[in-house]
Amino acid sequence: MEISFICNGRKRMAAISGETRALDLLREDLNLTGTKEGCGKGECGACTILLDGKPVSSCLLPAAKLDGRNVLTIEGLKGDGGKLHPIQQAFLDSGAVQCGFCTPGMILSTKALLDNNPAPSVSEVEVALSGNICRCTGYGKIVEAVLLAAERLQVKI
Amino acid sequence: MSENKFSVIGKPQIKVDGTELVTGSAIFAGDLRFPGMLYGYAARAGVPAGKLKSVDVSKAVAVEGVVDVITSENIGGPNLMGIMPPFDQPVIAKGEIRYAGETIAFVVAESKRIAKKAALLVEADIEAYEPVLTVEEALADGARKIHPDGNVTFTRKLIKGDTAKGFEEADLILEDDFETSFQEHAYIEPEAVCVVPSGDNRLTVYASCQSPYHLRGQIAANIGLPMSKIKVIQAYTGGSFGGKDDVAAEIGILAGVAALRSGKPVMVAHDREESIIGSNFRHAIKIHYKTGLKNDGTITAREVKLLLDGGAYASESPFVVMKALIHAAGPYKIPNVFVESTAVYTNKTYAGAFRGFGVPQVTFAAESQLQEAADRLGLDALAIRRKNALRPGDATATSQVLNESVGIVQTIDAVGKRAAEIAAGSEDEADEQYLYGTGYASLIQGISNGAEGIDVVGASVQMSQDGSVLVGTGLTELGQGSRTVFAQIAAEVLGVPLDRVTARLVDTDSVHDSGATVASRATTTGGMAVFKAATEVKSSLLQMAALMFKTEAENIVLKEGFAVLVFDETARIPIPDVATAAYWTGFPLMNMAFSKAPDADYDHDTHQGKIYIAYNFGTHMMKIRVEKSTGKVEVLSHIASHDVGKVINPLGLTGQVEGASLIGYGLGHMEKIEYENGIIRNPNFADYAVPTIMDRIPTEVISVEEFNSTGPFGAKGVGEPPVAGATASFVNAISDAVGIRFRKIPVTRQDIMLALRNRGNQEE
Amino acid sequence: MEYYKPKTAGEAVSLKTDSRMYIAGGTDLGVLLSEFMVQPEALIDLTGIDELCGVFKVDEGVAIGACTGISLIAESELLPACLVEGAKAIGSPQIRNMATIGGNICNASPCGDTLTPLVVLEAVFIIEGDSGERRVKIEDFFIGPKRTCMSPEEILKIIIIPSRSPDQKSGFRMIGKRNGQAISQVNAAVSAVITGGIIKDIRIAAGSVAPVPLRLKKTEDVVRGKALGSNFLERMKDTAEQEVSPISDVRAAEEYRRKVAGSLLESIFRAMRKEAV
Repeated sequence: MEISFICNGRKRMAAISGETRALDLLREDLNLTGTKEGCGKGECGACTILLDGKPVSSCLLPAAKLDGRNVLTIEGLKGDGGKLHPIQQAFLDSGAVQCGFCTPGMILSTKALLDNNPAPSVSEVEVALSGNICRCTGYGKIVEAVLLAAERLQVKI
Repeated sequence: MSENKFSVIGKPQIKVDGTELVTGSAIFAGDLRFPGMLYGYAARAGVPAGKLKSVDVSKAVAVEGVVDVITSENIGGPNLMGIMPPFDQPVIAKGEIRYAGETIAFVVAESKRIAKKAALLVEADIEAYEPVLTVEEALADGARKIHPDGNVTFTRKLIKGDTAKGFEEADLILEDDFETSFQEHAYIEPEAVCVVPSGDNRLTVYASCQSPYHLRGQIAANIGLPMSKIKVIQAYTGGSFGGKDDVAAEIGILAGVAALRSGKPVMVAHDREESIIGSNFRHAIKIHYKTGLKNDGTITAREVKLLLDGGAYASESPFVVMKALIHAAGPYKIPNVFVESTAVYTNKTYAGAFRGFGVPQVTFAAESQLQEAADRLGLDALAIRRKNALRPGDATATSQVLNESVGIVQTIDAVGKRAAEIAAGSEDEADEQYLYGTGYASLIQGISNGAEGIDVVGASVQMSQDGSVLVGTGLTELGQGSRTVFAQIAAEVLGVPLDRVTARLVDTDSVHDSGATVASRATTTGGMAVFKAATEVKSSLLQMAALMFKTEAENIVLKEGFAVLVFDETARIPIPDVATAAYWTGFPLMNMAFSKAPDADYDHDTHQGKIYIAYNFGTHMMKIRVEKSTGKVEVLSHIASHDVGKVINPLGLTGQVEGASLIGYGLGHMEKIEYENGIIRNPNFADYAVPTIMDRIPTEVISVEEFNSTGPFGAKGVGEPPVAGATASFVNAISDAVGIRFRKIPVTRQDIMLALRNRGNQEE
Repeated sequence: MEYYKPKTAGEAVSLKTDSRMYIAGGTDLGVLLSEFMVQPEALIDLTGIDELCGVFKVDEGVAIGACTGISLIAESELLPACLVEGAKAIGSPQIRNMATIGGNICNASPCGDTLTPLVVLEAVFIIEGDSGERRVKIEDFFIGPKRTCMSPEEILKIIIIPSRSPDQKSGFRMIGKRNGQAISQVNAAVSAVITGGIIKDIRIAAGSVAPVPLRLKKTEDVVRGKALGSNFLERMKDTAEQEVSPISDVRAAEEYRRKVAGSLLESIFRAMRKEAV
């Protein structure tokens, strides 16, 4: 079947089969390999993308469900003037990245959180990122990064 | 921490490879695409033990899109792999099945989905054996031999002094059994490798891996090519923790065979389930501890017996046997020690390297028993540890005299001071729904390979005419931040800003075989090699600058991007100008360094002698509360103090300690591979509980810096040690809160609640 | 593989054949598909059917379209607290953004976190099949682990939550191996009508303690008619521990399930007491 959707601000068309996963469409057909596969069962969050602004696990999402929707992957997240997005910068500054495999999903879950809740509490951060597993950092610096990003984004507004 | 006289070292540095990771542009092995690329997927045994009579691949071959199905007959070499002798693991099982996750055939197809679908159609005729599932069963008289030489993989003893005499001198003797469970690495990136025939009779292997040189050797041996025909390039690697070594070689060999047969690039990217059932765990260990103490807390003797469940193949069991053996006495001065450590084969997924390498398991048991002794003797938890702690000039359990970098007492004091501050700052909570507890643990962890063999690292440092620097080593970046540390060391030595330094991923063509990135050795021994190479390049720059300043080299320093005259700091030449002049004058601007750590020197029968080049020491405190009705645990505070010699990158270091601590907490509280008749029941992240962000612990890091002359700028590694501290302090905290000594980990919510209920029933 | 997106429930039912499968959020089916545990010729996506989406007031109470997302249930102000809390306990934010309440129901896992609340709310399901619509009470709906009374072509359309007294209070608790993304080792829900401090009407259920979400009627008998603040918790717990019939599996031991079920119920009643003060 043919679908069309907006991906990172660009209109994309794709011919897919019913069993095609959104993850495979993004990685194989669109070469957007920043979206990772960590478990294939919606249990780790590495494949997180934003669908109409909400985080979803692209490993369980049929590509057919992208039709007519708006997708953001890590490749579409950009800051002003070619710089890193403030969330990306905050992750670096806080030391919230080690191996980096969970990072794209982690950052997109953060984006969805801060878009809806610009000044989250620590426990709101924890709930929002509870679908993204990180084995390297112990999470402390990730929470710091989200709070730092929230602060910087608010100052900007 | 000491006053910092450095410009790059000791200051928090953002990861040099961070930008590509936050933008998603870093290329991990599974992200690679080559024209005509094929995908491999393993068919697995599915039964834990049996005689493999035949494998029928006809249905798999018939699937549209399948290009090749490889069986054990197609492996060109010996079809044996392993990191060390006895090299007992077949790449594809032949004749016998020894664990359920074992590969029996390898399907190569146009897509991963097709390969997987076809792999499910491979049929094996297996005459099932009664599986050998526990170490006791494996060692029983008449047990079926899993390998021809029997079920003992490796056994060693440590003998120091006379424990019988030591126990006679003791006022209190405790003797207990402890047990640990299999822990999965659970890096978020499953293993992946892509092998590309490069057209010049060579294979290029892009791998998510911990030890590119192991891959090179094992692929070469098993496909029958000289090692010089194989080039391994490390791809960005999404965590490893000891896990991407054996299995990376396994899939590298399979993809290599397939690439040679098809002439096409072949990708293998494991599913999560494969990553769990088909690659090694942390050893489950049955532990027996006997400790004798005087009434004042002095430890007089310790006897330990360890039975490691090594699963179906040796992997790194021999070295884990040794590491657990050497560390069983803890960071203490004990005159009489006897340890026997044995790894045993069972029909389960093999156990091998995992961050801590046997030390977390023995530390949990040792520190549990020491705490129980302190409680019985009415001694303070930190006081008993301080009393026995090693000091400079003391000998370890292996009789190695440590003359420097022995900061155990300092970590105990640092934790004591901070714990007192926390206690003073918090109200005494007394919600009756909860039980409150505090646990302490101290630990020792040998740094680098030591007794585990030769300890060499190659590094290259190259300065271009523009003054930019390229650093290469043979040790891998796994997320721990070694590229940043290596870049910092080169920047510090060469006096250039960090952003002028590029530290690249490993390419086996370009530096000396450096062994594996294990044993917390990257900063220590890898850093030394970079230091050496950079110092050679620095020498060229100083000689050139001396000519330009018309002075002697010793009058010049390199700093802030300039060559500077020491007696007139306004006289400075930009390093790019010096580098350009050095090039045109003919001074070498690239150096290949080779760094070799001092050899271990010890008696193999008693493990007495010099084992490791340095030791990390640590003390942890954990304060928790337990919800009585459910057993739910909340960690209220966690202090982790380690003697790290010298902090190179505080941001990276705290990240290492925090991350390792949560792995230790997981080991102590919630992570356990569950077996039923040799089949893993929880090969996924739903039922194998990896801590999420809602399960994190509030780790606070305190670094102690006792200079270590074997590491760059005095540094020593810290990647592994916090695991042991977190596990052991957690178990002590739980036991303190509940008032019941737990001797088996993980201590889950269920264990806690049921223990409370059962005690309640007994009291009634 | 084909992928159909019908606009009405009738159209969906007419598309259904033995070799085609319905899909809603896909969070359970997605795993089965990638593991080749099901290999349908086509998927029929129910989430584009408007009549199956949303939470709205009806004469009988509140109606929930079966394809309403779990995230929406978790944010709903029209729905009782126990169901909202149950929805929040499911999976991760990503899963809650994809999964639907109808999917959670039809998947019929004994540990499903919306099922126990729906049992105490005495939900009624409107199901459409070849021979038209029928209504099924939740107590008749589940017939075993992963098994329901629905025939393969039928679609769960609407979940009705019957109205209760304005004095109705409800609560939900679950426990898993960890805090985040936890699968319920046990969950429990209570719906009570409390008038003048007296528990007039009571419904209690627990999940993952039996092949289906289990209504605990003997436990209800202990509680019914008691003053909320009175001393019934110990007997209530003892009764609940007897009334559940759990098994041991990879997630929890039978004994823990039995005992923690009582603890979760106690915790719900304690919270109700706190709220009443």
